[in-house]
Amino acid sequence: MTAARTLTSPQMAALRQILQRYRGQGGAYLLPCLHEAQAVTGWLDADTCTEISRALNVPLVQVHEVIEFYTLFYNEPVGRRIVRVCDDPPCFLAGSSEIVRACARQLGVDEKGGTSSDGRVTLEIHPCLGRCEQAPFLMIDDDAHGHVQPAQIPDLLGEGA
Amino acid sequence: MPPNEIWITIDGQALKVPPGITILEAARLAGVEIPTLCYHPSLTANAVCRLCVVEWRGSRTLVAACAGTVRPNAVILTNSRRVRTARRTILEMLAASVDLSDAPDLQALLAEYGGDPNRFGEDAARRTFDGVKADNPFYVRDYDKCVLCWRCVQVCADDVQHTYALGFNGRGFHTEIATFFDAPMPDTTCVFCGNCVGVCPTGALKGKREYLWGG
Amino acid sequence: MSYQPVLTARVGVVDPASLKDYEAHGGFRALRHAIAIGPDAVIDLVTQAHVLGRGGAAFPAGIKWKAVNEEHGPKFVVANADESEPGTFKDRVIMEGDPFSLVEGVIIASYAALAEKAYIYIRGEYPQAIACVQQAIAACYAAGYLGENILGAGFNLQVEIRKGAGAYICGEETALFESIEGKRGFPRLKPPFPTQSGLFGRPTLINNVETLINALPLVLYGPDWYRQFGPSDSPGPKLYCLSGRVRHPGLVEAPMGTPLSELIYEYGGGVTGSGELGGVLLGGAAGAFISPEMIDVFMDFATLREIDAALGSGVVMVFDTSADIKGVLKRIAHFFAHESCGKCFPCQLGTQRQVEIIDRLAADRLRPGDLALLREVGQTMTDASICGLGQTAAGAIRTALDRFGYEASTGEFYTFQR
Ligand SMILES: Cc1cc2nc3c(=O)[nH]c(=O)nc-3n(C[C@H](O)[C@H](O)[C@H](O)COP(=O)(O)O)c2cc1C
Ligand code: SF4
Ligand code: FES
Repeated sequence: MTAARTLTSPQMAALRQILQRYRGQGGAYLLPCLHEAQAVTGWLDADTCTEISRALNVPLVQVHEVIEFYTLFYNEPVGRRIVRVCDDPPCFLAGSSEIVRACARQLGVDEKGGTSSDGRVTLEIHPCLGRCEQAPFLMIDDDAHGHVQPAQIPDLLGEGA
Repeated sequence: MPPNEIWITIDGQALKVPPGITILEAARLAGVEIPTLCYHPSLTANAVCRLCVVEWRGSRTLVAACAGTVRPNAVILTNSRRVRTARRTILEMLAASVDLSDAPDLQALLAEYGGDPNRFGEDAARRTFDGVKADNPFYVRDYDKCVLCWRCVQVCADDVQHTYALGFNGRGFHTEIATFFDAPMPDTTCVFCGNCVGVCPTGALKGKREYLWGG
Repeated sequence: MSYQPVLTARVGVVDPASLKDYEAHGGFRALRHAIAIGPDAVIDLVTQAHVLGRGGAAFPAGIKWKAVNEEHGPKFVVANADESEPGTFKDRVIMEGDPFSLVEGVIIASYAALAEKAYIYIRGEYPQAIACVQQAIAACYAAGYLGENILGAGFNLQVEIRKGAGAYICGEETALFESIEGKRGFPRLKPPFPTQSGLFGRPTLINNVETLINALPLVLYGPDWYRQFGPSDSPGPKLYCLSGRVRHPGLVEAPMGTPLSELIYEYGGGVTGSGELGGVLLGGAAGAFISPEMIDVFMDFATLREIDAALGSGVVMVFDTSADIKGVLKRIAHFFAHESCGKCFPCQLGTQRQVEIIDRLAADRLRPGDLALLREVGQTMTDASICGLGQTAAGAIRTALDRFGYEASTGEFYTFQR
């Protein structure tokens, strides 16, 4: 089994509320429920998944295999913020390799992606993010950053950001 | 009113068959053998292995014989060059990825189609796991030998047992059969019915006795 | 370039959050007209206009609308806004700039198909688009465009957004249904087709965002107006996603069948980098490369199919002669290996083998026999895979090798002298 759940009591309360709202709704609400739960908990641990499985009345293994399938769901701890850098052809042509390198250097992680040692930020090389006209492009959580330059990375990902 | 029988042609041989049967069944009526791997007569045909593909005149792609049903005047080739290339390549790619040492039928097929898994090089990625999972008194799971035919997942779920102990990790080449958070079998919903062991075509799932004492 | 945009006319003009603004710019006139003429007449318009699906497969929309209309019992309409094909961003521009038009398109399709429940499936990496469409739906409920007895016409419709979670395959219609049902995005075997058995096993009309918004001007101005654009077998206004080495990358609305050279040199302002065209990727990673001498081709479904290329989702990705084409091919190969769902053997295994060979090609370490092997792996994926992902996973690579003069002895692409 992977890392155990470490939630604050406000997080627990928020999770309870979500589970209450989805109770008995079945598989058709599994994805919405996972999205909402993860927005509170950061990643989807075994305890949370067990509670989701019970609330929705969906088999445990289905909750697990769904999380395993979709790249936006995590069943392992990730950084508090997630940087997704597009490296598909249009962004690549516009210099995304430099952006990836700058992010990796800033966070002290591998250029294939990873989480900074302080657990603050996770870097992911993400398939085309659908912003090709603003290449090179990256997202920090829900925020879009188009035409990004390597020199901006320290500001975007630095301690204070 | 649907006609009681329809005319189809398989490998140049015209025959009358009942409507709605699969290409695989129709071929058997014609005395033509089509290789299968994932197909199991008592399970839902998911047509995942694609070894049974055939050429159907007018179709852009090849068609899986285990799941495709015949239609009137279908003209089907079960052993054309195109079909053989697909089957051979699938077998080669499989043998380059998975340990088929306990799957003599597949080894024989590979030989029959003249397949050479070494074409992909010695550094081709294989699906390997750290050892055999022996976490319960009844059976072992040796996923180096798993071809991902889906049969075990199906018998554990809606096709037979409705136990839902087995599912998938990852996707694409990195797909694996797994339990909830990779828990050992005794910690899952598994009821040790043994159905999964019974349907495994490659020796990835084995009864403990067979695993320990062979045969 | 005298064309006046219709599909994107409101983008950048209206406040995407304002229903009032939308109505002031012609919004919901199409729905009112649709209700005035009735579902069957709406379907006749879509059929006569010969609207082809804009999601990539170019299936005639009228056939699907009619098929679902004729089914009994509960049925669904689904708007496909998964938009994960590399190089594609048209649906996002619509959803962020004119979200009410998508909602109106969904209402018209549901009215025509006699469906009382619709889903809009938007990829999870589009948070802004999701927020815009969510807001538009809420405003439509409040104004009586959604809910019970819409515009007093006695028809009801509930619309729900579904947020994807990072899986290209969930744009494939049956994988998308699985995803809404709370499962892994494994494509289903076809037949049965969605119009007979789709979401929750019920008849389902699924269309791309752009297909749905085509219905708005079509209902208002009629099939003759619609068919004045483009060739008769592939008509209408079209959204093209211009990216890569062009001066003005972005969304272009132009008639179907616009010459590619016009898109690149007039709309796009010409080639950047070396300034000389090396090649163009049409239709995205699932599409095909074409070489510079082919750029006078007309950009419509039928013409491109004839030259072994594809319009797909309207991607026009431009490469100059100095582009690192091997780096591009490597990314395309990795994209498919990353996104293969893993259900069927040819694609699950073939996308991995393709990556290994292309990685060698990119590193100038090709082994004897590798190119023949690549071809057989590609042919097997194309021929034997269950769904469009595996069936198209080799196309871009094959066309690049064939059309850019790859010379194995030197490891160079003739067209790209770097
Ligand atoms: C791998 C794959 C991905 C797809 N992605 C999309 C997509 O993001 N958006 C879309 O509209 N259609 C996509 N399609 C096509 C859909 O399966 C389907 O044909 C389309 O939604 C039908 O709508 P249309 O007739 O309006 O084009 C995809 C197909 C495949 C095989
Ligand atoms: S072709 Fe690829 S994506 Fe489609 S079902 Fe097969 S493995 Fe999945
Ligand atoms: S036996 Fe038909 S696809 Fe496996």
